[in-house]
Amino acid sequence: MKIAVLVKEVPDLEAHVEIAAGGKALILEKKRVLNYYDEIAVEAALQVKQSIGSAEIYAVSAGNGTGIEALRRALAMGVDRVIHINDPALEGAGPLVVSQALAGLVKREGFDVVFAGKKSTDDEAGMVGPMVAALLGIACVQGVTALRIDGKDITAKRETERGTETVKASLPVALTAEKGFYTPRVPQVMGIMKAMKAEVPKVSLAEVGVEAVSSPQVRGYNRPKVRLPVKMIEGAASQAASELVRLLREDVKVI
Amino acid sequence: MAIWTVCEARGDDFSPTTYELLSQARKVGAEAGMETVAVVVGAEAELADKLTGQAHQVICLKGGNLGIFDAGSWAEALYGTCAEAYPRLILFCDSDRGRELAPAVAANLKYAALVNVTSLEWEDGQFTITRPVCGGKAYATYGAGERGCVAVVRPNSFSIEPGEIASAQVQTVEVDVAPGKVSVEELKPREGRKIPLTEAQVVVCGGRGMKAEKNLSLLEDLAEALGGAVGVSRAVVDAGWADHNDQVGKSGKTVSPGLYIVAGVSGAVHHTMGMDTSKVVVAINTDANATIFRFADYGIVGDALEVLPAITKALRAN
Repeated sequence: MKIAVLVKEVPDLEAHVEIAAGGKALILEKKRVLNYYDEIAVEAALQVKQSIGSAEIYAVSAGNGTGIEALRRALAMGVDRVIHINDPALEGAGPLVVSQALAGLVKREGFDVVFAGKKSTDDEAGMVGPMVAALLGIACVQGVTALRIDGKDITAKRETERGTETVKASLPVALTAEKGFYTPRVPQVMGIMKAMKAEVPKVSLAEVGVEAVSSPQVRGYNRPKVRLPVKMIEGAASQAASELVRLLREDVKVI
Repeated sequence: MAIWTVCEARGDDFSPTTYELLSQARKVGAEAGMETVAVVVGAEAELADKLTGQAHQVICLKGGNLGIFDAGSWAEALYGTCAEAYPRLILFCDSDRGRELAPAVAANLKYAALVNVTSLEWEDGQFTITRPVCGGKAYATYGAGERGCVAVVRPNSFSIEPGEIASAQVQTVEVDVAPGKVSVEELKPREGRKIPLTEAQVVVCGGRGMKAEKNLSLLEDLAEALGGAVGVSRAVVDAGWADHNDQVGKSGKTVSPGLYIVAGVSGAVHHTMGMDTSKVVVAINTDANATIFRFADYGIVGDALEVLPAITKALRAN
């Protein structure tokens, strides 16, 4: 069995973000990590391999110079090999172009299962996994929390607003990993050392058969809306509560 | 050229987000000189009458394999229909369903996709679409350009305006699509939840300061008094007191209600990223220096277990 894991490199949650050039540019502190949900996806691939005995797991990432750290982390966790789609046209590329790139590569390399994170912690879009599935023309289960593979059939659990769903599909399939599916392992020092030294093979968009179309262009960046300083409501619980209810009803009229 | 909105039913009507999207589509459509088209699929076509005045055209997609929601067949019906009309913009509600349909539709139409959208305008001859980036530390405004674009819009981003379009043309399109590749074998419906957390107008959220699982009922009481939904912080989920589906924040849901009441949450970035666009925020914490007060409009220093029931009581008193 061949398992592809789609991974993204994201700024660390604590990384400093600065808006520059009069709102035209975003400067990010260079603290980059493997997306948390993709770590779960890598772990899921490793677990599947362990449970069925033999499988080849490869991780892929697409970016203009970014993605290598994420791939090294995946290697350190234990995937067999990694491939980086590196192309200047991936700078600022939207999910369509990224998905076309990943789908092109995965098609070339072969796959039975494609794992991805449910979403990334920076854009929180969750588009790439299901878009790759759509481009490959395969089934997709989003937000998987449990999985069983019996030969060609898979059974997965997922939580939605509707409730807990048990779904069935056949291979090949794309699965996006939700929090709670697995706890990602912490790589061993030896694994990290090996991953640091590993050669990360690179391919261009043309090599995976993708001609990049233009993505929506950023016109400007803004800071999140600034709230006025908090108004503290004093007094004992019952007194403060009454005053709060009055303010919500009469001042801001939200209830 | 037109703006299409993929409608989403909620019980016997469409979701408030659907009406938000249609309202904004009419507004920017008028500026852009584009018509507003509402699309309803499968069994939800029975509700099409509710859309009177909301759109210039209502398209009902019907077919043998289009009953209740199924991501695979619904997406195929949608992109098949879109591929004939090529709408400039296709709007989806940011819901579980929207997040399943939008990527499949965008990928098949080769459309750009923007998710978590908080603003949509028409400026300088193109649609401008705003969404948070870097986990909400900044907002990026994109120009959609000439190409088609799919936008998945966060609930509570636009105001709902009365629909005043005189004569909507209702058109039923029979589509022949294959059943989806994923079949739902079993669905255990969620208990108690009436409104999805992300769509609620009021969210009452509790954290570690709730001290024990049994105290979460105080959140439910207040949410009920306000007609809202209950959320929890990651600490509460990790403690096993609540389901991950109720988690607000980085590894949970992003909410943006009109009123967000948060009790016993310190205000770590993991939490605030999931609620920062809420309109009015009330924070309750025993620590007067807690970070959460920086994200609040109103603050009460006190024990959540005393203040929450006091608010519920004050609300019910008059």
